[in-house]
Amino acid sequence: MPQAIPLGLYVHIPWCVRKCPYCDFNSHAVGDGPIPEQAYVDALLRDLELELPLVWGRRVQSLFLGGGTPSLFSAEALARLLSGIRARLPLVSDCEITLEANPGTVEQARFADYRALGINRLSLGIQSFDDALLQRLGRIHDGAEARRAIDAALAAGFDNFNLDLMFGLPGQDPEAGLADLRTALSYAPPHLSWYQLTLEPNTLFHARPPRLPDEEAVDRLYRAGLALLAEHGLHQYEVSAHARPGHACRHNRNYWEYGDYLGIGAGAHGKLSLPDERILRRARQRQRQRYLPDAGSAAAITSEQTVSPAERRFEFMLNALRLRGGFDLALFRARTGLEDGALEPELGELLEEGLLSKTGTRIRPSERGWRFLDELTARFLPE
Amino acid sequence: MSDRMRHIRNFSIIAHIDHGKSTLADRLIQRCGGLSEREMEDQVLDSMDLERERGITIKAQSVTLQYIARDGETYTFNIIDTPGHVDFSYEVSRSLSACEGALLVVDASQGVEAQSVANCYTAIDQGLEVVPVLNKIDLPSADPERVIHEIEEIIGIEAEDALRVSAKTGEGVDELLEAIVTRIPPPEGDEEAPLQALIIDSWFDNYLGVVALVRVVQGRMRKRDRILAMSVGRQYQVDKVGVFTPHAEERDELAAGDVGYVIAGIKDIGGAKVGDTFTHVDRPAAEPLPGFQEVQPRVFAGLYPVSSDDYEDLREALQKLSLNDASLKFEPETSQALGFGFRCGFLGMLHMEIIQERLEREYDLDLITTAPTVIYEVETTRGEVIEIHNPSELPPVNQIAEIREPIIHATILVPQNFVGNVIGLCIEKRGVQKQMHYLGNQVQLEFELPLSEVVLDFFDRLKSVSRGYASFDYHLARFQPAPLVKVDVLINGERVDALSVIVHRDFAQQRGRELVERMKEIIPRQMFEVAIQAAIGTHIIARSTVKALRKNVTAKCYGGDITRKKKLLEKQKAGKKRMKQVGKVEIPQEAFLAVLRVDK
Repeated sequence: MPQAIPLGLYVHIPWCVRKCPYCDFNSHAVGDGPIPEQAYVDALLRDLELELPLVWGRRVQSLFLGGGTPSLFSAEALARLLSGIRARLPLVSDCEITLEANPGTVEQARFADYRALGINRLSLGIQSFDDALLQRLGRIHDGAEARRAIDAALAAGFDNFNLDLMFGLPGQDPEAGLADLRTALSYAPPHLSWYQLTLEPNTLFHARPPRLPDEEAVDRLYRAGLALLAEHGLHQYEVSAHARPGHACRHNRNYWEYGDYLGIGAGAHGKLSLPDERILRRARQRQRQRYLPDAGSAAAITSEQTVSPAERRFEFMLNALRLRGGFDLALFRARTGLEDGALEPELGELLEEGLLSKTGTRIRPSERGWRFLDELTARFLPE
Repeated sequence: MSDRMRHIRNFSIIAHIDHGKSTLADRLIQRCGGLSEREMEDQVLDSMDLERERGITIKAQSVTLQYIARDGETYTFNIIDTPGHVDFSYEVSRSLSACEGALLVVDASQGVEAQSVANCYTAIDQGLEVVPVLNKIDLPSADPERVIHEIEEIIGIEAEDALRVSAKTGEGVDELLEAIVTRIPPPEGDEEAPLQALIIDSWFDNYLGVVALVRVVQGRMRKRDRILAMSVGRQYQVDKVGVFTPHAEERDELAAGDVGYVIAGIKDIGGAKVGDTFTHVDRPAAEPLPGFQEVQPRVFAGLYPVSSDDYEDLREALQKLSLNDASLKFEPETSQALGFGFRCGFLGMLHMEIIQERLEREYDLDLITTAPTVIYEVETTRGEVIEIHNPSELPPVNQIAEIREPIIHATILVPQNFVGNVIGLCIEKRGVQKQMHYLGNQVQLEFELPLSEVVLDFFDRLKSVSRGYASFDYHLARFQPAPLVKVDVLINGERVDALSVIVHRDFAQQRGRELVERMKEIIPRQMFEVAIQAAIGTHIIARSTVKALRKNVTAKCYGGDITRKKKLLEKQKAGKKRMKQVGKVEIPQEAFLAVLRVDK
């Protein structure tokens, strides 16, 4: 019954001013010459049209413009993109429309225009307010710019916004990490993503690892940080996501609740429940030079798979267990089309081991399970 | 002696690893037209891939060549290859006893090594004509005069007229071929006497059954003959006889002096043991040829499948390998930690590593090998004597009257400047010096050492303290009482039987400490703290802790692309599958072998 499953739309914009050494997303430095905004917007809309038959009659409840750095796009280009999307696919009236933005000076000037386009949520890639750390992270902004960017977002009327902050940075002691957090909290953000720096494969940091603070120090910072966030009314609802009540990111939450989403743009991934009860995953051509001409044709789709029942179970758990509140068994049935019994024997074992807890029909990681989420999730891997 | 026999030369090539035996054999085969250029694959005699990789010859094989000498006559050369490692000294002695001569090949830049000396003594003992050959004379570092001196000093044979060759360039090979004709005597033996054929080697062929390589000492052997393997008393009918040229080439008969193969419907190599004698059923020889021995494994280790589902596959693989390897012994064994597996007996460490590699490579098995152990003799307080093949079988201390360990007599050859290091190493390994001779540049050391100390890491250490120059040979001398104790490893309080070791009391404390430290490095951090202890009986002698993981959570999981995250988890899961669960603790395979690789 796909109609009942929330549908999100993810749009990927793969350009950045510079590639950060920790980033493993599909993004590339702009290079010489202007970004081919017009051509890319056209490509995105063609790409979207290709998907339309799969979501006939459904409404989009969240739209996320991610990257890369979508704020490198001019307001005009985004205006054309948004109206193009609206013309092809109905959005619900209170649709959450998020744009990821870099706190650079150039971008700040556009915030008001973005707001005017109907973008109602801004996600600012602050990462830190510490100039030295920002430099180590390869960011192009400094602390002062970061502060101005938040002011600009507020001035532009973004009452719903997110600040991205990282911790466990090279050379960062717990006090410095908390200082970053306090600065961020001074703006009373409705949402804060606070995530630990990890060295991902295919990144510069992975090839040449920086010296990270020791585990104990990071752990102290993490615990103190969680307490501080909670004090300020920001509750951890996902591993790295904290929000005031009612301000959880609808779009991301939909991933974690194993909802449906269309993914358009270079390297984007989509997941859809089909009327015939199949679940389909599609991925797009990652290289933008090839995506541009291919978008709108099957050539842009580099992989397409039907998710088997065993994989659905795993994928659901991989996502849903990231939510601090866990999930209701009814959600499991609705999203996977499987019966509760499909979670056995692992569910029983993990309850027994005290890594999961069950209250009524709600399953959630225990305190201990929450710390070892990867182990927990791995139990549900298909054989 | 018949004219046929007068034209036969049976010989082996004795050489240290790397001194160019295989290259020289290839060169001889090539000169005698045994293989066309196109067929000439390097190092024909080393047929198994594994052997080629390790640069050693594991199993003997032979090649029969036709050589037209300068006297215009055609001679038959049978080159009988010998294994080049101390683990296989019995096979070497059988190969040599099938020959009248041996080429002692010595690297002209490196000099004589212990392995060659030991084999050379065996050859001289058996009355073989030893022809010294200096190889690699094309190398700028070659020093023939020094090496000739060494051969004379150390081995005690005349070496002034040693042949100087380069197997690589072909220089001197013609002279060598002539020397084989003129210096090595032809075989003797009565072609009409009752059959005596020595089994030099035997191996299992999937299509033919057992193929036995034999040297006919007297009499003749033909197709359809009824033959008897004298030590096992089993009878067969000969299907085929022939020679390797190196291609298998069928012949009507093999007669006294010949070396060739026999195929006789033998189902397993236990029916044609190396060193045994074939004779005719209806006209048997009075006695078998001398020198036959049942091979006895000296080193034992447990082999366990990582996944218990593979137990039957492992049994099958071991059965298949033992079809071809009479020295591989195995019997089922159960370990509390590792489940069902096999206790396997090997000739030595190299043999063990080869078997292990073949099981993993050819049979695609994931194995856990426990630390190898030697055989101990235990006299109990009730006066029984039992043989211990596995430390966990050791009776409780209060039931042991005496433990005896195997002692070897080792001969080590080493250049003078490393003598101090080598003596130091031997003493560290509880060695007792027996003799020391200065022989030119080299020193020959004789030590008695406990075999268990040699099994541990002696070869590697010897190489490293002598920068690779020391060489080593040994034979088992006797069992001798020693104050030995069993050190157990406990993980989170559970004794892991597969990690127990028997060590000298004086070293127990230190070994215990090293063991727990190694385990700490190898056991990955888990969700809970892992306590590692070493104990003698109930007495804890060392402890260490693997701290619990703080957390294990992927920080970032956005964007709907779950494929990478999934792959990562799958990889971790596959890694865990290769570990063994002891209680709740996951222990990697390496841990079980690490017991013996304790670096000083």
